[in-house]
Amino acid sequence: MRSNKVLVVRATLRVLAAGVILAAIIVVFLLPYAWIVASSFKPQATIFRDLNPVGWRSFVPINPTLDNVVHLFTQRGVGRALLNSAIISACQVAGTLTLCSLAAYGLTRIRFRGSGIVFVLILMTFLLPIESLMVPLYQVVAHIGLQDTLVAAFIPWIASPFGLFLLRQAFEELPRELDDAATIDGAGHLRIFWSIVLPNVRTALATLALVTFLFSWNSFLWPLVILQSPENQVIQLAIAQSVAPGQLPNWGETFAGATVATLPLILLFVFLQRFFVRGIAMTGVKG
Amino acid sequence: MLRDSLYSYQLLNPDDRLFVGLQNYAELLTNPDTLQSFGVTFGFAAGTIAVVIPLSFLLAVYLNGRLPMRAVVRTVVFLPVVTSAVVIATMWTFLLDPANGLINGALSGLGLPRLAFLTSKSQALPSVVLVTVWQQLGFATVLFLSGLQGIPNELEDAARVDGASALQRLRHVVLPLMGRTTLFVVVIMTVFALQSFAPSLIMTSGGPEGTTNFVVYNIYQTAFSLQQPGMASAISAVFMFIVLGISLVQMGLLRTKWNY
Repeated sequence: MRSNKVLVVRATLRVLAAGVILAAIIVVFLLPYAWIVASSFKPQATIFRDLNPVGWRSFVPINPTLDNVVHLFTQRGVGRALLNSAIISACQVAGTLTLCSLAAYGLTRIRFRGSGIVFVLILMTFLLPIESLMVPLYQVVAHIGLQDTLVAAFIPWIASPFGLFLLRQAFEELPRELDDAATIDGAGHLRIFWSIVLPNVRTALATLALVTFLFSWNSFLWPLVILQSPENQVIQLAIAQSVAPGQLPNWGETFAGATVATLPLILLFVFLQRFFVRGIAMTGVKG
Repeated sequence: MLRDSLYSYQLLNPDDRLFVGLQNYAELLTNPDTLQSFGVTFGFAAGTIAVVIPLSFLLAVYLNGRLPMRAVVRTVVFLPVVTSAVVIATMWTFLLDPANGLINGALSGLGLPRLAFLTSKSQALPSVVLVTVWQQLGFATVLFLSGLQGIPNELEDAARVDGASALQRLRHVVLPLMGRTTLFVVVIMTVFALQSFAPSLIMTSGGPEGTTNFVVYNIYQTAFSLQQPGMASAISAVFMFIVLGISLVQMGLLRTKWNY
């Protein structure tokens, strides 16, 4: 009887502990988002008032207003920034997929001297921190005259060693007998690439597309360095600017900007979580 | 084209160094701001790892069990990983605001004293560490989780049959097997932390008094605000070799076969 009671108490404690951990995780990770999103629908004075004291009101817009969002789009050029970010990201995804899949095909399907060395050399660049290449890269881009253009924002990154690495692995897993069969049927390299290989590595392509989009959309340092004129602004720069030190930030507007910039990614992530987690975990698997 | 594009920027750095000579490096080693910046960055990386590794390991163990709402927790913890560094830095600048921030509001609501956070010399770096932990926790957890799932179930089952408690199993079966994964996560987190930039620019401007002046921010400032690309290249080169060294150590360690 007694041990039975102990067991029940222990089981209850375990459920309680799990509940507490769960609640803590959700509070720590979701409340900041909730505060930002709710506050983006409030005027500044209301944001401050609702924090004093902190309560459920802090996280719920009671009289929601769209003023912040409207002001962002009409006065701060956020629509333009979003469009620029979308163009850059789309070009970067298209470029990366094209270049990396062609390179991966060449490295896995065409035998040539030194293909191993080429792959190792490309992978080496994977280990270099991009941040340390900022200055020379800026000089190269400025030298070509691409400075302050949307093209400059994505062109250096489409030759992505990560993309090549990811696609090469997928290509390697595809049995070569398929190619051989196609060759016998008279297919050339381009035909094999387009009709045999690509349809079979769709998961890898989707993963690469999503990860590339994520990095491109979220990138900050390089656009900050290379883009200057307001009409070329991207969304991350627009947000960073509204908190620039020395300015009196408009809280609601800044929050609205952050919400607008994050929403597309969060939606993509929630629906395509599998690809995201797989892809992002792979970015860590260097070498 | 792929080859050329990758080669050209690799080759550019040595050229630069030749032109500027060693003078920049001498200056780099004697400039207290630059030295402080390297020190701060390593301190930041160490602090981040000290917190993120144990937390993410425990979280991964938790998520690896058969618990309700596992998927929800995993999604929630991963949200900051897909949120941009800019948005996170912005968000936390306001959360940590001394006057009107949510955190200080909550603190005073609980009857605790308000804290200065980012504006205080002693609290700025720890604050940035906490924000980074918050951001990277999901990523580290996913890496640990894939490591945990690689452990064959038979091992834990055998220990359970031998009468080992959950804690004992964790301590004597799981932990020794996770050495390689842990090392891997430590290296990735180190490299990530060293490359940190947005917090310096957005949250603190490197201050107060250079206490959050991370190397990448320092490079950016030196090159584009102070217009000294030569000096910035020298700092970049040193920084690059440090990160490269860490990555090579990682590759070496991962290649060696580990016997259990």
